[in-house]
Amino acid sequence: MRIRDFFLFRRYSLPIFIILFLLFALVLMSLRAKQRKGVDFFDALMMEICSPFQKGATFVIKTVQGTFQQYVFLINLEEENRMLKQKIAQLQEENYGMKEMKLANERLRELLQFRKKNSSSMIGAEVIGQDPSSWFKSVTIDKGERDGVKKGMAVISPAGVIGQILKTAPHYAVVLLLTDYNSAIDSVVQRTRAKAIVEGKGENRCQLKYLLRADEVAVGDVVITSGLGGNFPKGLMIGDIKKVDKKGHGVFQYAELVPSVDLTQLEEVFVIMEPLLPSPPQEEKVKKGKKTKK
Amino acid sequence: MKRIILPLLVGILFLVIQATFLPFFPIHRVRPDLLLIFTLYLAFLFPPISGGILAFFMGYLADLFSGNALGFYTLSRSLVFFTAHFFKGRIYLEGFYSQCLFAFVTAILEGILILILMNAFQFVPFGKLYPLFFTFLLPQSFFTGLVTPLCFLLFKKGSLLLFRQPEEGIKERV
Repeated sequence: MRIRDFFLFRRYSLPIFIILFLLFALVLMSLRAKQRKGVDFFDALMMEICSPFQKGATFVIKTVQGTFQQYVFLINLEEENRMLKQKIAQLQEENYGMKEMKLANERLRELLQFRKKNSSSMIGAEVIGQDPSSWFKSVTIDKGERDGVKKGMAVISPAGVIGQILKTAPHYAVVLLLTDYNSAIDSVVQRTRAKAIVEGKGENRCQLKYLLRADEVAVGDVVITSGLGGNFPKGLMIGDIKKVDKKGHGVFQYAELVPSVDLTQLEEVFVIMEPLLPSPPQEEKVKKGKKTKK
Repeated sequence: MKRIILPLLVGILFLVIQATFLPFFPIHRVRPDLLLIFTLYLAFLFPPISGGILAFFMGYLADLFSGNALGFYTLSRSLVFFTAHFFKGRIYLEGFYSQCLFAFVTAILEGILILILMNAFQFVPFGKLYPLFFTFLLPQSFFTGLVTPLCFLLFKKGSLLLFRQPEEGIKERV
């Protein structure tokens, strides 16, 4: 049976198909806008199918990159010293391997100390992929719902705040970085205690929104989390102010900050598992549940 | 079945390359959009219905792994596919420059559409977004255009191995 036979007006079957198709995409968009927790079954299924490839590719790239950095660039040696230099290269390879291990060890030790220092329970995760588009800022991590990761949970590193969980699949999750336009974190300027919201500005920069003109801030001031949002513990480093502008009119002043974490070089992150405050929708649900029981 | 499953797998492969390999390049903003190039190639090779579904899926995949909580790419990639399909027989797209230019213009138009959608649905003001047009959209679109002829050549070689007469396009099952 022809696909066209399904349509009432044969002549317009293709335009109708295209319109229906684009409408379907729009409906899907509006459904996603309403979505409040995790992702749908099909989304999760697709993430589960695709993420292992990302994980594998990241592993291969890191290995190849390591080999290039440590060995391949060094093989262009003089012929007369080939034997000797081969040995040197071998030793160098071992040395670089050890250095890499030492660096990894230091990094992991730092993470461990950081974890001990912070009382809230958190799990470590590895970054397995970056955002495929350049418009949005996110990374994919190798921990998901099965590990207790939920939408909205805070993601941090020893250097500071990274972002929050945007989508979750059983074994993987997408983290919305703090530099994304859709990211907003409640913050406070450490020196003056001025309150503001840190919003992403795209290119590795953030903007301090709702920072009152009367508040005193200066370039170099450190911005930390206020703990009011409920997801992030109080006092985590977000970044330092790089630009302040009071020239414009209005109640608020403009300030720009650079995140303390280099978000382009993320390898390991921590997901904070315990929300500091119960989220309001859950409370409402409990109340509603009690009412229905009565 | 082969003609649907294989492009899907190729799409997943490009997504993986885009999310893992390309970010390792030192300049992030010049990484080409492989999924967009593949969607354009689908428009030249596939009929509107099966190709449209594939393009929809390519956009869906991009949305799934991006920080975009809504489904902007699902919509934009379907639109890109139907637009490219419309222009397929109307403009000359065999030469290097014409392919470059076509991909460049498509990438720019898709970028503008994404900007409009971000402004409309996520309330990001245009004042914040318009600097991105010059700092990011133009260089990325240029690079996407530059890589397109090479990708098309590779896709053509691949389709020659998989389908008998790819240059005639794949026909809808009757």
